Amino acid sequence: MANAVSSEPSRQDVGNNSLEKLKNFVLDFIINYGMIVAILATLVYFTTQTESFFTAQNLLLIVRSSSWLIIVSIGITLTVAVGGFDVSVGSVASLASMLSVALMVIWEWPWQTAVLAALAVGAAIGLVNSFLIIQLKIPDLLATLGMLYFADGLHRVITQGEAAANGMANPWADRTPTEGRIAETFLELGSGRFWGGTVPQWLIDVMPENFFIRGSLFQGFPYAVVLVLVVAVVFHVFLQYTRWGRMFYAVGSNREAARLSGIPVNRVRLSAYVLSGILAAIAGIVIASFTGRGSIGAGADTLLDGVAATFFGFAVLGARRPNVFGTVLGALYVQALLIGLTQMGISDFYQDVIKGTVLLASLSLSFYLFRGRS
Amino acid sequence: MALKAMGLGKRFPGVVALKDVSLTVEAGQVMALVGANGAGKSTLIKILTGYYEHYEGRIEIDGQAVTLRKPADASQHGIQAVYQEVDTVLVPTLTVTENLLMNETVQRKRRLLMNWGALNQRARNILTEMHLNIPPRRRVESLVLHEKQMLVIARAVNQRVRYLIFDEPTTSLSLPEVDQLFRVIRRLTQQGVGIIYISHRLAEVREIADDITILRGGEKVAEFPVGDFDVGRISEAMLGTAMTEAYPPKRVEAPGDVMLEAKNLSRRRALQDVSFSVRQGEILGIAGLVGAGKTELVRALFGADRVDSGSVLVRGKRLRGGSPGRAVRQGVYLVPEERRSQGVLVEDPIRKNIALPFLSAFSWVFGIMRRGQEVARTQAVIQDVGLTPPNPHMLVQNLSGGNQQKVAIGKWFTRPPRVMIFDEATQGIDVRAKQDVYRLAQRVCDHAAVIFSSSDIDEVIGVANRVIVMKDGRIVAELAAHELDRNLILEYATGARRADGSLAPASALPLASAPEIPPQFSAEGGA
Ligand SMILES: Nc1ncnc2c1ncn2[C@@H]1O[C@H](COP(=O)(O)OP(=O)(O)OP(=O)(O)O)[C@@H](O)[C@H]1O
Ligand SMILES: [Mg+2]
Repeated sequence: MANAVSSEPSRQDVGNNSLEKLKNFVLDFIINYGMIVAILATLVYFTTQTESFFTAQNLLLIVRSSSWLIIVSIGITLTVAVGGFDVSVGSVASLASMLSVALMVIWEWPWQTAVLAALAVGAAIGLVNSFLIIQLKIPDLLATLGMLYFADGLHRVITQGEAAANGMANPWADRTPTEGRIAETFLELGSGRFWGGTVPQWLIDVMPENFFIRGSLFQGFPYAVVLVLVVAVVFHVFLQYTRWGRMFYAVGSNREAARLSGIPVNRVRLSAYVLSGILAAIAGIVIASFTGRGSIGAGADTLLDGVAATFFGFAVLGARRPNVFGTVLGALYVQALLIGLTQMGISDFYQDVIKGTVLLASLSLSFYLFRGRS
Repeated sequence: MALKAMGLGKRFPGVVALKDVSLTVEAGQVMALVGANGAGKSTLIKILTGYYEHYEGRIEIDGQAVTLRKPADASQHGIQAVYQEVDTVLVPTLTVTENLLMNETVQRKRRLLMNWGALNQRARNILTEMHLNIPPRRRVESLVLHEKQMLVIARAVNQRVRYLIFDEPTTSLSLPEVDQLFRVIRRLTQQGVGIIYISHRLAEVREIADDITILRGGEKVAEFPVGDFDVGRISEAMLGTAMTEAYPPKRVEAPGDVMLEAKNLSRRRALQDVSFSVRQGEILGIAGLVGAGKTELVRALFGADRVDSGSVLVRGKRLRGGSPGRAVRQGVYLVPEERRSQGVLVEDPIRKNIALPFLSAFSWVFGIMRRGQEVARTQAVIQDVGLTPPNPHMLVQNLSGGNQQKVAIGKWFTRPPRVMIFDEATQGIDVRAKQDVYRLAQRVCDHAAVIFSSSDIDEVIGVANRVIVMKDGRIVAELAAHELDRNLILEYATGARRADGSLAPASALPLASAPEIPPQFSAEGGA
């Protein structure tokens, strides 16, 4: 915190009181690392509760099933950073996943153009969102809520309410069988893996017993994990270390002061919504490639979990503002909770109660303690 | 009867804001609190108004020890404050009556329906009793700053205030409004209210105070009755060095090229056909009462607001409106009127504020910010404007008011301007920092044009080479250096003298003939 050095001698004799110092240190620690400690504690708890939680298999499952959530959450983080909000992302993810598969299967597009089209639709929705919010001055929540319904409806229209998959009946041509196929390359993103193979003995030795299923091969990481990593690193650097990131935060913390400092406020807000749309579309494509189909409402769950992840992120490292690192941890945490609680045999409605409690607790902790500091 | 504070102290992580300060405010007396930026004045009054849960020291009222841990404690003991950010204690969307009688309307648990007619009448009575002409049914958001201030005072009085604290109440008031405020303060003291008055304008202190207490670095360094008032002595006690209140010498060389020209600027209800130009090497002062259109004018020049007609030329090239970003790229910078909401990002450290207007000057490939450069620049600015504490990483919200203002100014130093516009730039900053700003304006104008808009007429006269006087959104006079005279400007600003230079007939002289109620107050009555 502020360690002011001042020319006034009377100002430096602070903090000599060692009790005070200890208190400050503890507070600082909780504010900065409280969330991380809480996450570790949760992981340890699950490990002690269920045999199967702390295994390579299971951790991989958590990472894998977080991948699209992380991408969507980063988009939400960007819009929250500029002082906005985008609740259309879940629908956009559903739309992109349905559209990319349908284009390949029903209309027999090559995978490249299908993917590009899905991304373009994501970007277009972001553009429309920002137009509604910036030009028509509709409150962000309402504008993107409208878009949530619109995009959700649209993704059902594409296939007339069915799932899109290899060999489906063509809803647009008297249910004749479709000829198109989901390209192998497209599926590779979700199913292709690297670093698979036999696990070296030393690793088996250092890890706890039963961490690896004995004698079996490690399946490897899906390529999607690399994609997520790249997206996360790029946007972390973007927000934290570049001048555009500075503009995002400036616009988010005081739009008028940012504008009077010469920041192109509306361009910044527009970029946030467009990026959010594109990221949601990428998430949709990842979902489609993992599941090998375009299902109805495939991305719907990501909205609430993504919002939760973003706000968890507020509490990480004492940031108190949306940040990518925190969001990624938040998304992983949300998934770990989901999977851990499921494996403990706790039913979904209790899971939501627990998720809500944990979110509220971590937010209160960080905001309340921080308030006490200043 | 007195409010007595003994050994008050307050520390923040890394800073002792206040240390062992004792002070006594007698009922019916005005105690002025004076000190440089960051001296601890606001901290002291925050303790007295129950803003902090924890503090050191003892507070007594009439010999009774009291503890003030929350604002309600303070108001229960009759202590109220008028902060400089008056907006924070008023609800803008409610009416004058609702704000004035807020406590009562909220507390009326037993009655479901309000008798608004009666409440408005009561509000009107309270306001007229204080000689204020504010319509009770108006929404607070449509009031101008000093009307809001008067409303806060009226509310305090209505809640039986016994000790009223003013934290820099006059920073953006002009002379007639200051007079009005002083009349109210004098009436309050006659009724036995004790006043603590904080200001950086020493002339005001001399006029209103009975006693003066001086803080420096969080400690009390002097206390004496106003009879011993001496500017030299006060500044020495405040700053630790002797200092005069003189303005730096003005440039004498003839001004150079026209840097900025305004042509027939008009904006509905704000500006009417405003034209002028300003050259390199000159400081153009803009004088006028509060609400005369000074801020509207400078915002239009900067492109912060669109105009309905007219144009702004920067070095002969038209500057399209509506985008401050474009103005900044053309070298037109503005230090805006309200620092906290417009000038700085309070939740960010000083260094991020300094870098904000010219981010590309601090970034590298892929737009990566160069933190080292940013910190170095910030340190240079800290030196330049004398910011305390000199820590680039300090959050702006933890700086004292005057030091926040220095950040709002210093962030423009990165690239040399063509036209530098100051709007109430010295509000809330201490004597030394004011002189720094004046010197800075002189320095900037070696290579650029400076527009210096202020409600403080003396300051405008002291700094400017040429002054335009505004009233009701128009320019009513343009005065050259040798014509600058306080009374003349005041006459133009109040309408006592018409734009053609003739004196208005006596009946149209609200200020001269009826000094009790300045024009803003009486004007509202007719509207
Ligand atoms: N919440 C805080 N955290 C850390 N430091 C603080 C905090 N609030 C105030 N300070 C520090 O305490 C000191 C005194 O501040 P204060 O606001 O009382 O000054 P002031 O006399 O009112 O100055 P000004 O004339 O500029 O308004 C300053 O150095 C300021 O930076
Ligand atoms: Mg202050």
